Amino acid sequence: MKITRRKLAAAVVAAPLLGAAPLPAQTPQASTPDDLLKAARDRIKANGETLARAAVPMATEPAFQFRV
Amino acid sequence: MAAIPEDLFFATIGELNAKLTAREFSAVELARAFTARLEQLGPRYNALALALTPQAIRKAEEVDKDIKRGRLRGPLQGIPYGAKDLLSYAGQPTTWGARPYAGQVFDYNATVIDRLDSVGAVITGKLAMVELAGGGGYRYAAASLTGPGLNPWDRSCWSGGSSSGSAAAVAAGLVTFAIGSETSGSIVTPASFCGVTALRPTYGLVSRHGAMALSWTLDKLGPFARSAEDCGMVLQVIAGKDGRDPGSAGKSFYYTPQYSRPVKELKAGYAPVDFDERAEPGARAAFAAALGALKETGLQLVETKLPDFPYGATLSAILAAESASIFEPLISSGQVDQLADAAQIAGLKAALDLPARDYLKAMRIRRLMQEDFSLLFAEVDVLVTPGRLGPASKVEQPLDGSAPGPGGAAAAGGASAPPSAAPAPPQGFQGIVQAGNLAGLPALVLPCGFAGNLPLGLQVVGAPYSENTLLAVGREFQARTDWHKRRPGNA
Repeated sequence: MKITRRKLAAAVVAAPLLGAAPLPAQTPQASTPDDLLKAARDRIKANGETLARAAVPMATEPAFQFRV
Repeated sequence: MAAIPEDLFFATIGELNAKLTAREFSAVELARAFTARLEQLGPRYNALALALTPQAIRKAEEVDKDIKRGRLRGPLQGIPYGAKDLLSYAGQPTTWGARPYAGQVFDYNATVIDRLDSVGAVITGKLAMVELAGGGGYRYAAASLTGPGLNPWDRSCWSGGSSSGSAAAVAAGLVTFAIGSETSGSIVTPASFCGVTALRPTYGLVSRHGAMALSWTLDKLGPFARSAEDCGMVLQVIAGKDGRDPGSAGKSFYYTPQYSRPVKELKAGYAPVDFDERAEPGARAAFAAALGALKETGLQLVETKLPDFPYGATLSAILAAESASIFEPLISSGQVDQLADAAQIAGLKAALDLPARDYLKAMRIRRLMQEDFSLLFAEVDVLVTPGRLGPASKVEQPLDGSAPGPGGAAAAGGASAPPSAAPAPPQGFQGIVQAGNLAGLPALVLPCGFAGNLPLGLQVVGAPYSENTLLAVGREFQARTDWHKRRPGNA
């Protein structure tokens, strides 16, 4: 089975998501540490792109403290 | 020595305390029975990180002296409990579930342990956990120094993470209550999988001094116990201001069931699609029955939508940035390679390079989330959703999910959106665990039925500092159901 880096990234970084359908077991087991690292980096990049698409008013400050 | 009946291993705090103060048995007898059981059965579930039997007996002797002299210190006096192995206990190993820290010893106790000690609770052991609470994102249940957490209801299934041992030990009657932690799902998931009641408190309510830091702005400590009532009693003790925790809200918590608003006056937001369509088919009947039981309490269920935010990406960026900074020495030294889970190793290494731009954007989005949840809680008092969409997975099964459930990330490190596509429109309460953690909201998990032989949990989420409201809902639900009283057959 051929797997793209993008699919691998989705699989690896979704690791803690307990969900329904796992990938075929042989795919991650065959992954090298370099593949896993590349996938994790791709995932961070993709997350950053998702965040970049979110519109935030200029005056919004980071939520470093919670207020009730 | 009086024999401790089997039933007492599954008794509530109130039941045990009444028998202790009535001198039906001594605290030492109780501690001996519980420590023996924990040592015998804890390894069966990979739930035990470290037995503290001599310490427990010594503490129980003190408790007996106090009771004899009429020095009663409240309902937790003499009650055996366990603490997740990310909480420091002076002079004993605190491994954080990870090989690189296997020999780590602190010379002070975590604040929660001191607080419990001050009311006479008896710590009997440190409980197993996913390594580093899963901060880098783990792929297998075996991501732990003690092996995969095994579910007391079915040892071929996972007990959930990252507070695996805390949930399993309560479910199997090895302790009366346990302390766990949540960054994103680490209380909600194992409580749901193991069929125990658990409370994730509002961010800042419980001091994290002496607890492993994974994410300064997300980490929380909370109780696993036999009932909502028990969770309230434990929270009252462990909550409160602590100058040693910079995230401490400086607030106390008083468990006041007598002053709770009647549940019939409360409005609960929910998404029927969570129960009817997103839940696994084998779990839907139980969830439907649980909703029915909730309605019987008088709780007004109204259809609600979550605010629309990229919860997974936001949580992932914040957690990755903060955990990489915390564990930078581990990562940079190469010791990170000693971790058990290859995905976790890769995740931590990659996180070191997360751009500040992403972290700050995520924290700004988080501010908007908090504001929107504030508005939402002006409309409803609580939110109700499945704790997980289905029961525990098989222990050897990779933890990949094609889509996050309403529980979202099972443990810290979670991210939800697929990398290639634009975020799908939120469906039901998808992302509620990430959302709840990002907004610092409390959540109560209530056992609510079974799918096959495995338990399911219901999650009730509230506004910051609404723990008494959540517990009131939990009490009413548990007055009408007995799911929280069920025990695993092989425990």
